[in-house]
Amino acid sequence: MNKLLLKLVYLFRSLMPTEVDFDKMMIIVKAKLTMDTRRVYLNYKSAKQKENRNHLNTVLLIYGFFGLMIGFLVFALPSFLLCMIIFHTYVLFMMAMTLITDFSTVLLDTADNQIILSRPVSSKTIFMARLVHIMIYLLQFTIALSLFPIAFTFFKYGPLTGIGFCVTTFLTVLLAVFTTYLFYLIMLRFSNEQKIKEIVTYFQIFMTIFFAMAYQIVPRIINFKSLAGSFELHWYAYFLPPVWMALLLDGLHSLSFDRLHILMAALAIGMPVITFWVLNKYLAPYFSKKLSVLNNDAVEVSKGTDNNVQKRSIAQKLSTLVCKKGFERSAFEMTWKITGRDKQFRLQFYPSLAYILIFVFVFVFRSNQSIGESWENLPASSNFLVLIYVPLFTISMGIMVMAFNENFQASWIFYSTPVDKPGELLTGSLKALLVKYFLPAYLIMFVLALYIWHWAVVDDFFFGLCNNILCFFIMAALTPHYLPFSRQPSTQQQTGKVVVVLVQMVMIGALIGIHYVLIKFPIIFYAVIPFLVAGVIAILRNLQRLPWRRIVTA
Amino acid sequence: MSVIHISNLKKEYSGNYVLKNINLDFDSGQIIGYIGPNGAGKSTTIKILTGIIQEFEGDVNVLGMDIRKNAIDVKQRIGYIPENAVLYEVLTPVEYLRFVGGLYQLDEATIDRKTNELLRLFDLHDKANVRMNNFSKGMRQKVLLISGLIHNPDIIFLDEPLSGLDANAVILVKEILLQLKLAGKTIFYSSHIMDVVEKISDRIVIIYKGEVIADGSFETLRSEAHKGSLETIFTSLTGNEQHQSTAGEFVEALK
Repeated sequence: MNKLLLKLVYLFRSLMPTEVDFDKMMIIVKAKLTMDTRRVYLNYKSAKQKENRNHLNTVLLIYGFFGLMIGFLVFALPSFLLCMIIFHTYVLFMMAMTLITDFSTVLLDTADNQIILSRPVSSKTIFMARLVHIMIYLLQFTIALSLFPIAFTFFKYGPLTGIGFCVTTFLTVLLAVFTTYLFYLIMLRFSNEQKIKEIVTYFQIFMTIFFAMAYQIVPRIINFKSLAGSFELHWYAYFLPPVWMALLLDGLHSLSFDRLHILMAALAIGMPVITFWVLNKYLAPYFSKKLSVLNNDAVEVSKGTDNNVQKRSIAQKLSTLVCKKGFERSAFEMTWKITGRDKQFRLQFYPSLAYILIFVFVFVFRSNQSIGESWENLPASSNFLVLIYVPLFTISMGIMVMAFNENFQASWIFYSTPVDKPGELLTGSLKALLVKYFLPAYLIMFVLALYIWHWAVVDDFFFGLCNNILCFFIMAALTPHYLPFSRQPSTQQQTGKVVVVLVQMVMIGALIGIHYVLIKFPIIFYAVIPFLVAGVIAILRNLQRLPWRRIVTA
Repeated sequence: MSVIHISNLKKEYSGNYVLKNINLDFDSGQIIGYIGPNGAGKSTTIKILTGIIQEFEGDVNVLGMDIRKNAIDVKQRIGYIPENAVLYEVLTPVEYLRFVGGLYQLDEATIDRKTNELLRLFDLHDKANVRMNNFSKGMRQKVLLISGLIHNPDIIFLDEPLSGLDANAVILVKEILLQLKLAGKTIFYSSHIMDVVEKISDRIVIIYKGEVIADGSFETLRSEAHKGSLETIFTSLTGNEQHQSTAGEFVEALK
């Protein structure tokens, strides 16, 4: 698609201002488009991906697929207005989120100044190259998002509405650009580059979760039959851009030009144009000024903290509680801190935390019952087992995620220092994972279960806790042993042998099975718990004593 | 008494010998300059001496202990600051040093005391609690130097320790090395910066294609080679004296 869009740019060659060196500009744009395809988008990156693969195309395909889904609404929904509102909300949301999470690298890129400004290229040319690059980028995503909906609209509602639809899509994209700029301006105003990157990371995590939720939950909630009838717009709806766009199209479609439709159409066309003018005239210069400052204060200085009186961090306090002195404690604190700060880890692992809720939702509310019905039947069911055991499965994925890290080279320190019990490094970081992520998740599940099933589930959760911890360490013991954050992400991970995986699944299945069998006799729980605890201690001992030759090193 | 004893050391990588029969003895309280062109086997030697690489032929004794059998005990008493060393940049200097100190099994109070003091001396006290992602190369290098010395080792292995440091820090580190030597420590120093090696080393070993091709004090090397500086001795020994003509061709190719 890139090549096609580049050809398109050549059409505008004669329109370029004379100060712009067209050939140089195209060279810059081409380089930037190439870099776009190399960027890693969200966390679609899997371990096996090859370097030369075009990540961008994958993302565009996914967006196209979502577009297809939305496109079907055009046929499914009898209400034209509602359908249009949904579509424009979707475009606005997706474009703004994409721009915020992904395009930040382009918007906040100050490398241009160092690399290109030192070459014989005029600043007008650079500016135009940036503009063209952003346009192509936007166009790619707009096409991916709206290709199917546009085609379906043409097909169902005729060419006039179809053309109007193209225009409103374009206007919505303009609004999305404005929103993004505003977002970054506010960010730049109140925080530094480091913090912005942090915030963007959380937006990325949110996006991943959002996709998963949308995929799992929306089909269960939307009841197409109930949408079929007429629906009323609340008064505040008229403040929302997607509604303006939809009403403009509605006017075109039904050829009704009453006062409401004309007002909304004026807003739909006027607002993007005005905001874009404001953006161009006032915000963009301010933005680039802020951006140029950004580079200069790269290193922040900790203010006002007296280093001699260091407070003990939570990690330090907890590590003395749950860890052996020495290697285990060091690994615990290190894992605790890095997991909270490393972008790659958070991008890969945090969405899976959200999956806990999604899985619980999916398991508890089967699709063949309505939500209300399922909710009423809940207290009588033993569905709390789902709440007890789902967190374990997502969190134990962290064992593998933790082993792989971009900064893997820093693990040389494990080999140059006198580490005679490498197993303790493993147990330290496993404990950190358990305490930092599993326990809070389990607590939340417990509170949730208390609310639904009341005090009857306390025994189950206590038993479940011991059982979960045992299962967690069984998984850890049977997976390949990597030192924390020591493996290069792209390397093939050593997969466990099939037999081992099978043993693992049988053991965990059996343990959960015991719980299921014993549900009716909670007294017996307390007879089994000592055995579970003994199992945990035995496995932990075993792991702590692992010799170097059992650790998978580079 | 020799603190490092290497006899008949060989190391092969997939059929290629990168170290061919190295025999060396080093006394304590010396600064040893260990130099050679890229790929000569410097880093491999250091990794063997520090117990990081365990598979090799021959015998290596460090501090009187067989490095194969007592790697952990040796590591406790040596410090290693590798070239291009990477650290956990999402941690702060204080946290990183706490972590490394923990791996050396120092007690927490000692780590805290030393960390504060050493960071202050390296002018990093105002960044002690700032994450290291944005640190300059020099600042990272300072943290690395501290992390390799925090357990007060008897032998210190350094690979390009001055890279990225500013002029003042270079002078400071050189002075620290000299004073460590006076305190009886042995310093094994590998670098490409010849004039620093020339000035601070008591003994210089030049390694080329896996073999020792020169060994002795700077004065001995100079009298043997009849050349002025270590740089000229080095180029004459490692075989490439065509720098001038290569440079000429380079300039020609630009035209």
